[in-house]
Amino acid sequence: MGTIKVLSPAGVGKVGETTLPPLPADLRGKTIGLLDNTKANADLLLGRLGELLRERHGVRSLVYCRKANASTPAPPDLLADLARSADVVITGSAD
Amino acid sequence: MLRGVRGEPDEVTGRIPPAWHEATLEKLAVNAVMAGCLPEYFPVIVAAVEAMLDPAFNLYGVQATTHPVAPLLIVNGPIVQAIGMNAGAGVFGPGWRPNATIGRAIRLILMNLGGAWPGAGDMATQGQPSKYTYCIAENEAESPWAPLHVEHGLDPAQSAVTVFGGENPHNVNDHVSRTAAGILTVVADTMATLGSNVKWYFSQSQVLAALGPEHAATIARSGLAKADVKAFLWERARLPFGRLKLGGMWGIHDWPDWMNATADDDALLPIVPAPEEILVIVAGGPGKHSAVIPNCTFSRAVTRPITRLPA
Repeated sequence: MGTIKVLSPAGVGKVGETTLPPLPADLRGKTIGLLDNTKANADLLLGRLGELLRERHGVRSLVYCRKANASTPAPPDLLADLARSADVVITGSAD
Repeated sequence: MLRGVRGEPDEVTGRIPPAWHEATLEKLAVNAVMAGCLPEYFPVIVAAVEAMLDPAFNLYGVQATTHPVAPLLIVNGPIVQAIGMNAGAGVFGPGWRPNATIGRAIRLILMNLGGAWPGAGDMATQGQPSKYTYCIAENEAESPWAPLHVEHGLDPAQSAVTVFGGENPHNVNDHVSRTAAGILTVVADTMATLGSNVKWYFSQSQVLAALGPEHAATIARSGLAKADVKAFLWERARLPFGRLKLGGMWGIHDWPDWMNATADDDALLPIVPAPEEILVIVAGGPGKHSAVIPNCTFSRAVTRPITRLPA
């Protein structure tokens, strides 16, 4: 009897390890990036979050950025700017 | 299936978002077999995958969005006849193995390698039937104008595939017009609707007019070149500013400064940035129908020559 080789149509994920930088335990004195994905009210939500973080958690400064629209990725230079200027970035808002 | 193209089975054409699994020629071939393709269809599938992976197509967005978008494949050149594709009657419909199975193979690839499962990966609110299969050939024989791939700089003898991230076809019924102006007025009206994405994310808005051959012939008899058709549609497919404020994506739209500066509610605003963003092809058979296909507005049409034909 011959051997039957069964092929799968499904893809194989690339397995790798990465590490995330630890989140700061305390936001006092930190700079927070706010990345607006342009979904409805994202600007209001992020703006208010920023205010609250300043008032209640001692955040030093805020950096506000906006994508061109919700369905295209943030350009690499914008992400690089955020990585340089902010300690933590908040983004993601649904319809 | 693999003998249908030049290349090694483990050759990687890219990774399919949002799962980002490797699209090796072997994986593409397995999906093509499952879809019911013949090996001579396979070069079209490989070229279409390469086209979809062009960053301009933004496959990640096309796959993951809540919009119903599916990649429409438009095939041009000698391969259409060579593999027996339908460009005529019922071109968007059933009955032709290459049209049906090439489109089906693309969908299986997008699901099996891209992870675009409804509700998980593919977040379409409703989706659309063309997510099963969406593959046509241009009816070059009955077109009064240069075919799509020639417009993009390719030789007429070079087969090509264009991928267009589109909605389902919207019907354009005009049984009475005897002039280009008459038919194109109805086409323009079908293009300018509040509900489609086109015009909201303006910079990447594109719309495809798939003219039935009888409509195309009437338009050509009026003396219009394809560029004239695009210019006419660009000027007429417009919506009043006041109407745009009624809903849709008003308030979260992405417009250039000159449009944002509009104050007059009666001002008519275009739905795409330039006439060139209106694609015009001829497709279908006898009858007085055409179709309009708006894109998803975060993806641009990409044309690729079909080059992997076996020696």
